[in-house]
Amino acid sequence: MRILIKNGRVIDPKNNLDAELDVFISDGKIQEIAKSLDYSADKIIDAKGLVVTPGLIDMQVHTREPGREDKETLETASLAAIAGGITSFVAMPNTSPVADNQSVIEFIIKRSKELNLVNIYPTGSITKREEGKMLSEINELKNSGAIAITDDGVDVQDEGLLKRAMQYAKTCDMLLMSHCETDTLTEDGVMHEGWVSTQLGLPGTPASSEDLAVQKNLILAEETGARIHLLHNSTKGAVNAIALAKTKGVNVTAEVSVQHFSLTDEECFGYNTNAKMYPPLRSNEHLEAIQKAIQDNVIDVFTTDHAPHIEPDKLKPFAYAAFGSTGLETSFAVANTYLVEKNIVSLPDIIRKMTIAPAQILRIDKGHLSVGADADIAIFDISKKWIVNPSKSLSKGKNCAFNDKELTGKCKYTIIGGEIKMQDEKIV
Amino acid sequence: METDKVANLDKIRNKRDLSFFDLYSVDQLTKDDLSLIYDVAREFRKLKTAKLSLNKGASMINAFFESSTRTLASFDLSAKQLSMDTTSVGSNSSIKKKESFLDTAETVDAMNVKIIVIRSAEAGVSEFISRHTKASVLNAGDGWHEHPTQALLDTLTMLDYFKSNDLMDKTVTIVGDIMHSRVFGSLVRLLKKLGAEIRVSAPDTLLPVNVEKFGVKVFYNVEEALKNADVVYALRVQEERGAKGFIPSIREYSKMYGISKKRLDLAKENAILMHPGPVIRDIDVHSALVTLDSRSHILQQVENGLAIRKTLLWLLVNRYDKREKEFTLK
Repeated sequence: MRILIKNGRVIDPKNNLDAELDVFISDGKIQEIAKSLDYSADKIIDAKGLVVTPGLIDMQVHTREPGREDKETLETASLAAIAGGITSFVAMPNTSPVADNQSVIEFIIKRSKELNLVNIYPTGSITKREEGKMLSEINELKNSGAIAITDDGVDVQDEGLLKRAMQYAKTCDMLLMSHCETDTLTEDGVMHEGWVSTQLGLPGTPASSEDLAVQKNLILAEETGARIHLLHNSTKGAVNAIALAKTKGVNVTAEVSVQHFSLTDEECFGYNTNAKMYPPLRSNEHLEAIQKAIQDNVIDVFTTDHAPHIEPDKLKPFAYAAFGSTGLETSFAVANTYLVEKNIVSLPDIIRKMTIAPAQILRIDKGHLSVGADADIAIFDISKKWIVNPSKSLSKGKNCAFNDKELTGKCKYTIIGGEIKMQDEKIV
Repeated sequence: METDKVANLDKIRNKRDLSFFDLYSVDQLTKDDLSLIYDVAREFRKLKTAKLSLNKGASMINAFFESSTRTLASFDLSAKQLSMDTTSVGSNSSIKKKESFLDTAETVDAMNVKIIVIRSAEAGVSEFISRHTKASVLNAGDGWHEHPTQALLDTLTMLDYFKSNDLMDKTVTIVGDIMHSRVFGSLVRLLKKLGAEIRVSAPDTLLPVNVEKFGVKVFYNVEEALKNADVVYALRVQEERGAKGFIPSIREYSKMYGISKKRLDLAKENAILMHPGPVIRDIDVHSALVTLDSRSHILQQVENGLAIRKTLLWLLVNRYDKREKEFTLK
């Protein structure tokens, strides 16, 4: 298919591009980017007033398949991703069974090829069944196509084992992604420990639970020289430690999930279970530190930590409700609304953290619009205001922390591998 | 005669209504709500156990998902003395069969009851359920969060003792397991509304984070906290807290924070001793003080509990303004 995108504001952080240009696509690749292109095309998209970016890359998605297809499938997650302008995502291994073996990795790759929707990169677990006791066969996972290893959802509590996992990951040249949490400090915590948890009478998870685990990971990464990525950071202590480690040359990258730079623990008032997640939404003090860390590039990447659940798992007393929020359909809008519109971070900078930055960490040739690159493209109307309506969500999970909130910015077109997957906000 | 009693209640009520339909937090109570509740409760207290037909035809469900002695008995007797039909659903039935709290509550609501009283081990259950039922939900204690009727009966006890409409120049010292106490959660909010100076005394392990933001002064030393207090309010410390390292032992806790006669003497001469019960004698409070000491108001609290609960049941079931509860999530 030959597609010509006319007169859009093309933002491609990798190539330092931010100008009104035309983009010509054929054979699944980007052929040319320049002013006033004139090609015959099967489809001409008038992108006047719109922003054309590399398709977004989300490093943290819980697809629930295999095992919990009632919550989400690779197909519904892919459709939700397309609606949000996400053309590639990393699938977390906490499925059922856990992706601690080749079969699960191969299944996900095979299924995503059959679906032919978005590029899905599976991860394997660090330890068998994510139990934190025995290492998974990391090299086998890599050979079957896992892009990284992680025990996301839990953490490797045993420091000795974590160190060996890092050494082994280094041996296999594998990225290790850590969920940072200290079980003995979290205990029964279900939200951020602070003034709001005290008012609600809910057991809190102190910031120190995350801080200590981040420190532990950084110390071991420094000692082993392993390449690590710290998932969903949410505390002042975490970003301060990461900043210091980066100056020391530790091989670490860091992400924040979009809800952690936009919402605080006050969302939990009224026992709102859609605001229950790990790490928990923190107090304003932490939110400000996270925003500063984004400005200072201590935070490299934005993710969704998309975690769909069935309704009964959220319609529960707060203490028993499932952790997590959906986010594939809202992440760009959240970043645009809470960072760009508030003049905290520029539009090209948020796009960098959702395109080329994750691509470089994952070492995939995605996230840019160079000539010859895969034609994965998102086109956004950055001034469109909309209210997040769970009944309109394409994800099976309707549990979004942003439900009923007004956001600015919506994806109009999503192109993957040179094929239009969404047109005028409608899935093709 | 019942008609005289009802006439007196009506006269005191003076066609006033509560601002709320469900009560899950003291935060919901306005100044007008408070004066209405205290006025009517004092009249109900005078009427003792008189059987009145005020709420005849209305039913109440006690949904106690956590065990209770005094609160359950108090709510149930209150309802019966107002001629309500009552029954209980509890932790021994549906929840054990894995029915969700919400399904249990919606089932009960479908029986067209007027009141559902909920006690739960988890915070927020009554507020959550109240969004899904047409019946009024009363919080009889939710986790570590709140126990609003307890705070109402406690403050009624204090106001009557001091013969005042507020607690502006009074110091209330609360001692014990503040962190895990729903009684504290409601009491601190209500004392603040009434203008009291509030002190809390406990080891740091039993204080919730940022407790000072409630507007309380924190004392690790109980003697200092008790000096010149007008009210000494002791909270129970559960034995299992020891296992999790909140305190090294009940023995040490009792030595450091137990209310002995010597400690109580540090408070003002006319100070009163209160406790929400159940008292663990000689651990929270020295045995001799519990019921025998004239300063102890623990049994008055219980009596006021009936009056407060009858008041809420009457005011919620019989509204002059004929407004109906609105609920959206169903």
